[in-house]
Amino acid sequence: MESELFGGQAVIHFKDETTRRSFLRTAALVGVGATLAGGATTAFAAGPEMASQFGDGDVGVLNYALTLEYLEADFYAQGTAKDFLGDNKKYLTPIAQHEAAHVQAILGTLQKLGATPAAKPTFKYPDGTFTDAMTFLKTANTFEETGVKAYHGQVPLIKDGAILGAAASIAGVESRHAAVLNLILKQKFVPAPVEAHASMDEVVAAVKPFLGA
Amino acid sequence: MTNSTINRRSFLKRGALGAGAVVSGEAAVQLLSTGRAWAAFGSDADVLNYALTLEYLESTFYQMGNAANVITDATEKDVLATIQQDEEAHVQAISDTIKKIGGTPVAKPSVTFPDGTFSSRDSYLKLAKTFEETGVGAYLGAAGSIQNKDILQAAAGIFGVEARHAAAIGYITGAAPEGGIYMGATESGKQPADVLAAVMPFLGGMPSAGFAPRNGNPDFLAAGAGAGLLAGAGLLVAGLRRRAAAAQTE
Repeated sequence: MESELFGGQAVIHFKDETTRRSFLRTAALVGVGATLAGGATTAFAAGPEMASQFGDGDVGVLNYALTLEYLEADFYAQGTAKDFLGDNKKYLTPIAQHEAAHVQAILGTLQKLGATPAAKPTFKYPDGTFTDAMTFLKTANTFEETGVKAYHGQVPLIKDGAILGAAASIAGVESRHAAVLNLILKQKFVPAPVEAHASMDEVVAAVKPFLGA
Repeated sequence: MTNSTINRRSFLKRGALGAGAVVSGEAAVQLLSTGRAWAAFGSDADVLNYALTLEYLESTFYQMGNAANVITDATEKDVLATIQQDEEAHVQAISDTIKKIGGTPVAKPSVTFPDGTFSSRDSYLKLAKTFEETGVGAYLGAAGSIQNKDILQAAAGIFGVEARHAAAIGYITGAAPEGGIYMGATESGKQPADVLAAVMPFLGGMPSAGFAPRNGNPDFLAAGAGAGLLAGAGLLVAGLRRRAAAAQTE
């Protein structure tokens, strides 16, 4: 995926040790299991404890979703603030609004549950993300497809029916985003008749390159 | 609206908050804060047969529409061919799942569409958009009725595909991004009674296999409510999941 996205350039690297540690903290917050990053065994060995610190159960799922929505919201806010997307910008501005709304909705839900929301991570993006339309669109597509699978992956784990319903209502919107981005990129807009799902570990590994600094 | 009234009562009687509860913006937060069940009624087989009926309607619609040759643009043709294949796959998967959980799939209903539906691209795509948005709302509205987690997860995967279809039709028809392609920051669920009321005009004759509508009969309405949608595809899903994995690899 990364190689296709970024022309074969490795993006799963950290600028320095501080950045890497920062990600590990973030990843631990998201509840990453010990299996996540092979090289980071020491840090991730403490994963479960740190995850519980973050919140178990539905709160953990919500904070996981919040972290992903923070990433998407930041990404689209930056992209749509500039003028390099041409005619396609009209499809992306609403997406930026949706992701910002998702952040607020999840934050509000966590607050009403009396839970502490995960801190907003810092993000980094490959060079060209906000200057080259194709890079931006492909990254956007990856985020959306990842987001869809992330939500579906949590479906069997969410305990509260109301939270499940709200999560589903957000997931469907991510599906629409994914479809539109695929169409803009002239790709198959439906990967399969039933959308796939992904585990938290898989998703965190996929977005890891963008978290840090 | 007799249907809605009776169905609503039966719905409330079951203590559900409202399967169709539209979760939008602040409403989502309010909804979440209630802590009440999002929806709860019906067996998984009922839900699957509800979904199957809708999928039969959709698949037949696209089979007829695509055979009418009113679409000339290559991209549009491709989008509609994909949608037809997806709906056919949903029919197959849901039917298989119903059997695997010991239920009996409803027979394919006979369907009818208004004169002229397939005589122009615009009328075909207009109704297609309506069906897709109805499907999205139907799956979301019935999600709370599904007991089996695997089936629920599969239903979520089908729901998302219906959302993709709706967005794609909006996109190829040049609809407004917000309100024509996207329908806000969150999807809205539709209650089974409302879904059935919306699609009933297109169902020329329902089969007698357990899902027979009898107009105005509360029993039917209750059955409709019980027939939540989402599909049970725990098992069904296994096959689709494999296909999805294959598609992803590709």
